[in-house]
Amino acid sequence: MTATTATPTITPAPELSRIWNIVRLHLVNKQTFIGIPWIIVGGAWAVSMAIMLIVRASAGDADVIKAASGMTNSWAVLSPLWYMCAAGVLAIAQVFPFTLGFGVTRRDFYLGTSLLFALVSVGNSIGLATLTELEAVTNGWGIGAVMFQALFFKGGSWLANFFIFAVIQFGILFIGAAIAAIYMRWRVMGMLVFWLGLAALLVGIVALVTLSGSWPLVGEWFVAQGVIGVFAWALVPVAFAALTGYFILRRATPKN
Amino acid sequence: MTTIIEATKLSKIFGAFTAVNDVSFTIEENKIYGLLGRNGAGKTTIMQLLTGQDFPSGGTINVYGQSPVENAEVLSNVSFIKESQKYPDQFRAKHVFAAAPRFFAHWDQAFAEQLIAEFRVPLNRDIKKLSRGQVSAVGVIIGLASRAPITFFDEPYLGLDAVARQLFYDRLLEDYAEHPRTVILSTHLIDEVSDLLEHVILIDEGRIILDTDAEELRGSATTVVGRSADVAAFVEGRDILHRDGLGGLASVTVTGQLSPAERAAAIAAGLELAPVSLQQLIVRLSSLETSEGKNS
Amino acid sequence: MDESRPIFLQIAEQIENDIIDGITPEESQVPSTNEFAAFHRINPATAGKGVNLLVDAGILYKKRGIGMFVASGARERLIAQRRDHFATEFVQPLLAEAAKLGITTQQLAAMITKGASQ
Repeated sequence: MTATTATPTITPAPELSRIWNIVRLHLVNKQTFIGIPWIIVGGAWAVSMAIMLIVRASAGDADVIKAASGMTNSWAVLSPLWYMCAAGVLAIAQVFPFTLGFGVTRRDFYLGTSLLFALVSVGNSIGLATLTELEAVTNGWGIGAVMFQALFFKGGSWLANFFIFAVIQFGILFIGAAIAAIYMRWRVMGMLVFWLGLAALLVGIVALVTLSGSWPLVGEWFVAQGVIGVFAWALVPVAFAALTGYFILRRATPKN
Repeated sequence: MTTIIEATKLSKIFGAFTAVNDVSFTIEENKIYGLLGRNGAGKTTIMQLLTGQDFPSGGTINVYGQSPVENAEVLSNVSFIKESQKYPDQFRAKHVFAAAPRFFAHWDQAFAEQLIAEFRVPLNRDIKKLSRGQVSAVGVIIGLASRAPITFFDEPYLGLDAVARQLFYDRLLEDYAEHPRTVILSTHLIDEVSDLLEHVILIDEGRIILDTDAEELRGSATTVVGRSADVAAFVEGRDILHRDGLGGLASVTVTGQLSPAERAAAIAAGLELAPVSLQQLIVRLSSLETSEGKNS
Repeated sequence: MDESRPIFLQIAEQIENDIIDGITPEESQVPSTNEFAAFHRINPATAGKGVNLLVDAGILYKKRGIGMFVASGARERLIAQRRDHFATEFVQPLLAEAAKLGITTQQLAAMITKGASQ
């Protein structure tokens, strides 16, 4: 009896189509990457407005100025970040094992998820940079409230702010995803090795800089680079996380 | 006879534990296979290896003549439904069904909707809030409606109640009759699925004990009951699967078909010949392997 | 379905019984393989095997595009077959059981005559 080998009945969709399907999969529940982050931003904005309104209502002009200046040091503008980090982690921790069951290759999954991260980061950054600009133009929403014109965004151009917002989000998402990938592949042991290794590395660097008395040099370098320069350099570890995340996930299995 | 999956000397080792031990078999196209065995026998591991979800420690796997690992051409023809499938927290049942058609080219939406109604899956509820039976139903519906040319079901019906399980078996048979595909079902509920199976692969402790046509298996063993001495005389020289006794009565299960002459001889000797169901046969064979393994 | 005997044999037997009983007359159509499979909740390939057994034995034949039909003369052939097996299947066990209970052949014959007249 001769046995022949069957041929596949279904031909796979073209690669771009498959990658786009992953993007759509992550967005099937719009709340996760679009809804909730903006609700958080909206909430932070409402709080900032309320604070300023209360200060204006109850205190004198000098206090209003002090309050406004204090608000420029608030981290409210970055409020959605913790949630975004969680979303990035869950994209790997939960969506990855799920897609394996649907016959998706790890490569398609990672490329699709990376594309999603890029689209979300760029999209959100456009919105956030525009709101920052708007706040400046309206003099703090007409009441001198400050939320977006804070930290390193204060006084920056739309493009500069867009860049900073984008780098921060790329970083949060890709680094969160890479760490989740470490867990996917090496589970608890991987987590221990990673965090202990990271701590050791940081302590080592700090020790080195301190012992060689190089803190002033470090400070000078930051100043010389400027805000944009520093964030441009930050892209290096982000790219590293993105790349290693792929290689880590390539041999990960959905053991549950 | 067309081969669709071929495993050769497949093995998987997790540290000190060998889950799959030098396993070789072929799966032919458009048949319903039962991958049977006790809990922890290695059924899930084998399925994960065949679908490229896990990587072999040794041996080769060919699906459509190619390795399934990271292979979109192969995997777009495969669906793998497992009992313990976890869904992303952010999904509701309707999201899972909305996503599925994009990954399964032969998805039948009308069939899916019929099944959703029959299994009573609440579409608008968070997956986290569904009962175990409802989550299992989601998996089962995806497996059925996907019409994937190779469909794996790794005990996905364990969470289903008896009514839902029967519904699954009925719908599977109906759909398979209309739209033939290769189905591989793993289970330890042998008596429930035995009528569905065309071919049986029995796994125990990572090894294949049996790989035969289901019909050949049925009727391939008989239980001889009667006075101990008479039974002993009759079963002399035969392969014995199981012994049991009560007082002066003995009940011995032997393998191999009994010819009409042998049957007549048994009856004449005052012995009773009782049938052995597929489930009993498989249970005995599994126990035999374990006890022989311990003795050797 | 008896799980301890090949199912395809049982399917074939059921079809044969229906033919002998007159439920499916000669030249009438029998249900399709898929219908048998759905009714008994068994694998269609198994049902098909049972049907094919009867096709090979000349009891059923296939009309292309329509389905399976009972061959003419099938009933007589089946009855003849069953008659041949009647002795081993029914008479021998009857005699063995009677012997076990100490019933003589004459007593047995008397029982049979009595049973037939009722």
